[in-house]
Amino acid sequence: MVKILGYQLKHQQEIKKYQEDLDDLRLYIQDFTAFLPIAVCAITPIQVIIDINAAFEKLTGFKALEIIGKPWNELFLGEREIEKIKEKISQKTFIESQELILVTKEKKQIPVSISISIRKDEEENLSGYFLSITDLTTLKKFQESEIIRTKERLAILNILEDIENEKEIAQEEKNKLQAIVFNLSDGLLFFNNENILKIFNPQVEIYFEVKEREVLNKKISALSGFYKLNFLLEFLRNQPERIFREELKIEENLILEITSFPVSIETGTLGKLVILHDITREKQIEKTKSEFVSIAAHQLRTPLSGIKWTLQMLLSNDLGEITSEQRDFIEKGNKANERVITIINDLLNVTKIEEGRHLYKLTLINIEDVLQEIITLLQEVAQKKKIKLEFKALKEKLPQVEIDVEKIKIAFQNLIENAIHYTFENGLVTISLEYVKNEIEGIKFQVKDTGIGIAKNQQQRLFTKFFRSPKAITMETDGSGLGLFITKNIIEAHKGKIGFESEEGKGSTFWFILPILKQ
Amino acid sequence: MKKILLIEDEEILINILEKKLIQEGYKVVVARNGVSGLEEMRKNKPDLILLDIIMPIMGGIEVMEEMQKDEELKNIPILVISNSGQPIEIDRIQKLGAKDWLIKTEFNPQEVVEKIKKQFI
Repeated sequence: MVKILGYQLKHQQEIKKYQEDLDDLRLYIQDFTAFLPIAVCAITPIQVIIDINAAFEKLTGFKALEIIGKPWNELFLGEREIEKIKEKISQKTFIESQELILVTKEKKQIPVSISISIRKDEEENLSGYFLSITDLTTLKKFQESEIIRTKERLAILNILEDIENEKEIAQEEKNKLQAIVFNLSDGLLFFNNENILKIFNPQVEIYFEVKEREVLNKKISALSGFYKLNFLLEFLRNQPERIFREELKIEENLILEITSFPVSIETGTLGKLVILHDITREKQIEKTKSEFVSIAAHQLRTPLSGIKWTLQMLLSNDLGEITSEQRDFIEKGNKANERVITIINDLLNVTKIEEGRHLYKLTLINIEDVLQEIITLLQEVAQKKKIKLEFKALKEKLPQVEIDVEKIKIAFQNLIENAIHYTFENGLVTISLEYVKNEIEGIKFQVKDTGIGIAKNQQQRLFTKFFRSPKAITMETDGSGLGLFITKNIIEAHKGKIGFESEEGKGSTFWFILPILKQ
Repeated sequence: MKKILLIEDEEILINILEKKLIQEGYKVVVARNGVSGLEEMRKNKPDLILLDIIMPIMGGIEVMEEMQKDEELKNIPILVISNSGQPIEIDRIQKLGAKDWLIKTEFNPQEVVEKIKKQFI
């Protein structure tokens, strides 16, 4: 009995020890599985969950009590994949790293990868499964960002490629532009906003006998040592920002026409471009032409004067009485001769057109004196036609203006002569000068007549070359139709304004304004 | 009787003006270029000079320049009879002291005489 009791006790002790060992092992396993960072659960052969670890709870949000006894597949989305898995595992096939979407307790969808291992007993019968779930969120995010990054990288590469292409195009354009600038027959200078010389093409090198490398990338102020170039720079300094075809005589055999303007793009001003055009040859030709016409006119006019004066002598009976038949013929001859004289005068006027365009010599002068001179000259012509030529004396002294005196004289003369020519006997021509400060500050000259006036439909064409109104032709056969055209050229060359008001049958008022240019 | 020196190279104009001026009661001396014109004015002391501009040997402008340098000749009134009438030329003529000027094709002999008469008023 004792022996039995002893045996039982011993047995019980052994069992207890085994139990203790078993408990230790369970704790060990529990600890171990709890520690495992991967979510794991045990599944019965009928595919319901019977155990989960801590990582599983953490990942799914379900407590053991809430999930144990439920089919594992309820945790996942994707019926078709799940069916496949179920089929596979029922045929004892392992599942490895199958991607699925896990739905947590909070209905959050998480990308996961699951693996399922098959548990068998000693007789190779299915005893259940282990299911492990790996959270792929971080990996997915990483992959996504990796994809984005790759895309970005590709995009950058594309951009770089585009830039490279653009660069090539730009370089090509630059080369083209450079070739153009280099081969241009005009001189080209470009100063940036800091007044640093950035373009100096070979033509400019020739004009100023300076090499590009001596001056490029230098400030204007550092260029004063180059005498001829400095002459241009000094000239530009005293000019407005924008100039168009201003003449500058650098030396006897170098006359340049200068155009200068600021270069702007959408974002602002880049600097100032100066274009130099050599007009030395044109000037020489112009001079030669003027001389030629002058001489030709002289050669033609001399014999014409001879004929005119002879016929005039005959007509005025200075050479004795003539019969009426003789007078009739001589008068016809005289008329024909007068026509030739008119043609020669027109020819001379054609050369005068050119004179209007360029100003040769600018002088600061009291314009009243210039006008007075012309009035005195024309007083005689007016008297001949019994026209009163009146100049309203000024109350105050006018400011001086910078003008090409010879040119302005032509302008005065043309307008006053027109007023006299196209006014009937006993008419009145009134001249005035005044200081104005409307759109331009300057001196306004005005000549008002009581003449034939200009029809409305003729007014537009008045300043065009060779235009003469039908009325003007009947009144004054001599005109060439160039006077107003020349005058307009002259006034515009002075940066002035010209205009008129006229009423047919009542008279016309012609005016121009010469600006007072402020330095 | 007023004495007029006509300096002109064109024969027909000389003939006409000489005839006209004599008819008007003037004494006329003729020179056919600038150099002999200067000689004649020194010798004859004319009351007025009718002066052409473009002439062989010496032109009218040079004649006027020479006259400016000479105290005795400086004050003789000059009437320029020119062909070109270009503003630049007219300006030069006026600066050299010409009393008046006329363009041959635009005047007739009678008007020349009137201009002369004006100078003697």
